[in-house]
Amino acid sequence: MIYVLYIIVFVICVYTGRHYWFTLNRLFGFQRHPYIDIDTADWPPVTVLVAAHNEEKVVANILEALMTVKYPADKMIVIPVNDRSTDRTREIIDKFVEGFPGRIQPFHRVGGKGGKAAALKDAMRLVSTEVILIFDADYIPGAGLIKQLVAPFFDLEVGGVMGRVVPLNAGTNLLTRLLDLERSGGYQVDQQARMNLRLVPQHGGTVAGVRLSALREIGGWNENSLTEDTDLTYRLLLNGWKTVYQNRSECYEEVPEVWPVRIRQIMRWAKGHNQAMMTYGLHLLLGKNRATLRERIDGTLLLGVYAMAPVTLVGWALALAVFYQGIAPLHGVIALLSLTAYAALGNLAAFFEIAAAARLDGTRKRICLLPFLILGFAVSIFSVSRAAASQISDLVTGAEFHWDKTERFRKVL
Amino acid sequence: MNPYLAVAALILMVSMMLMLPLIPAFWELRRKSDARPLNVVQQNAGEIRHFASSFRDYIKGLQPILQRCVADGISASGALPDGEEYVVLGRADEPLMLALQQRDATHPVMMAAGVDLVVPPSGTFSRDIYAGAQFIGGDKNSYRAILGETNVHLGASSRVTRWVHAVGDFTADAGCRLYGRISSDSLIRLRADCGFLRLNAPRIEIGNVAINGNANLPDSSSSKSAPVERFFHDGDFEVRAGEVISGNMVIRGNLHIRSGARIRGSVKSTQDMVLDDGVSVEGSLISARKLRIGPNCAVHGPVVAERELAIGSGTRCGTLSLPTTVSAPRIEVEEAVVVFGTLWAREDGEVVATP
Repeated sequence: MIYVLYIIVFVICVYTGRHYWFTLNRLFGFQRHPYIDIDTADWPPVTVLVAAHNEEKVVANILEALMTVKYPADKMIVIPVNDRSTDRTREIIDKFVEGFPGRIQPFHRVGGKGGKAAALKDAMRLVSTEVILIFDADYIPGAGLIKQLVAPFFDLEVGGVMGRVVPLNAGTNLLTRLLDLERSGGYQVDQQARMNLRLVPQHGGTVAGVRLSALREIGGWNENSLTEDTDLTYRLLLNGWKTVYQNRSECYEEVPEVWPVRIRQIMRWAKGHNQAMMTYGLHLLLGKNRATLRERIDGTLLLGVYAMAPVTLVGWALALAVFYQGIAPLHGVIALLSLTAYAALGNLAAFFEIAAAARLDGTRKRICLLPFLILGFAVSIFSVSRAAASQISDLVTGAEFHWDKTERFRKVL
Repeated sequence: MNPYLAVAALILMVSMMLMLPLIPAFWELRRKSDARPLNVVQQNAGEIRHFASSFRDYIKGLQPILQRCVADGISASGALPDGEEYVVLGRADEPLMLALQQRDATHPVMMAAGVDLVVPPSGTFSRDIYAGAQFIGGDKNSYRAILGETNVHLGASSRVTRWVHAVGDFTADAGCRLYGRISSDSLIRLRADCGFLRLNAPRIEIGNVAINGNANLPDSSSSKSAPVERFFHDGDFEVRAGEVISGNMVIRGNLHIRSGARIRGSVKSTQDMVLDDGVSVEGSLISARKLRIGPNCAVHGPVVAERELAIGSGTRCGTLSLPTTVSAPRIEVEEAVVVFGTLWAREDGEVVATP
């Protein structure tokens, strides 16, 4: 039992060190934004896929925004992927098609497998451009965003591009404010540090792009994946394609405003991530592929982030068990010192990262909310652990995953 | 003391101490003083002419005064609604111009001129300048920003701290330091020893350029939708002199392209890249470290070096009909280089003498 605890503590320490490394890199290291300055070019034709499943509240906003972006109109086609919507999504899309002839090509999907990956896979038959951008329907791209997301594709190593997501409804309530801080840490520090250090920035499946030839090479969208973005990141990586992160390519999104929706969202992410870990983890770390050594290590750690929640819970349980059994690991004093050191530094790693992100974003007061993140952390650790447990039970019972669409909170136009 | 009371007091005190660090959190949660979405999604991000356009809008109110001053050959001064003081010049030999004649003077007033504006040397213009006609600056001047409706010419060793936009040609004489954004709707010309950061124009000429076009590049669009086929090589690689490669190259190592070679595609190197004399590349050229483009090369697509970029004399990047971007943190450009589009040094750009 004590050795299992040692292993768990070691793994947690590795993740702690990783948090600090990323944060210090963002604060003091060399920042990579190699493609952001490409503002003049012979821009390639691009297809923008807008994934929409019952999105009557938000779909008009994104189509409106896309019609005003600064990209040659004759080189950009927008395909709203209306995935079996039962609300007014189809009607709204068709209205835009009429209003902007030749610029929007709707794809109304009425049947087939559920999930975003399956819908995108079906929509691919309409796509002929080498560069594809993907947005969820609740996103609102700025005028310069399309060029910024297309620019990295001039680099032949780049198979995928990811932009930064910024919550639009940040100020609604405590949850949205906590998610705003979490997003800040995740993108401003985590993703950009991975970009700086040439590790594995993660494709987020929205505010994102993919190269058609890369997608074809890796076998297209994986409709069996619960998180098509994570799946895409790893298949690109294994085949020698890079995913790059553009921190200055920001786009507003809507974050969940109620806890049940947030819990469902994070459980889906956890399941998808764990699925990718089981599928690609071993092959990435030890198999023959085109990833560099640092990409292999970081990629493996990234795959394990959601598995850390149940691991931490097990660690807590073991620590309590060890205590009540009267075992004094590492002769007591060393253990005590280690515990103190970890309490001082380890527990604060994620908070340090988020505080640094807020600092980099130039915000001041929202850092005050940092203590409340413990609440978000507690909800996440139990939700993610529950997701992992249900995933294991699904594996035993053979139950199929049910796709939970994230509820929208914007007012219908 | 009652022991129950003591325990209750202790619990209360400990609770208060525990709550103390949370007071700012509750305060911020209630007041929402920093709860707006991050102001990071910028509609005009990357638009080099944004400041110039905003300034043109800002001084719209001055146009009637400017027209009257030009028509009557007079000058006027006053303040805009936001309190910004201005001087409007309707004639070049205005008495007000006398104030500019003083050497080493600082001019903290926004200037708008409807006629050719010739400013004396060694002055500091700490407010924006609007030139309705030609702008000709003396040597060793320091400017904040200039919007020129025709040509703008800066004298030697002048300095720009924010931006310049010229509807006509922009010329900077030797030794100018151009911080911020410099744009022109027709031509930018930089003389020797100039420093720059961000330049954008249909044609950017560095030093004395012989007008010989880009003979070795076809002026055709590269933005096709054909699938990307990549030649992948792990380790250092060399393209032989005169060799023609049809396709795209990804080299995970250093890349050396020898004289006269022609790449009919794009090139990426994860380390240093060197192009010798007369190399042509029809696609993009991207190096994850240093990139040295030798003399007389021609590159069609974007050129990006993540660390340093050196461009040899006689090189052409982009074409007039298909402009491109040349970008790196540090750029050294020899004379007789032409870039069509954007030349962007994130940290430092220098025009250096041809060896």
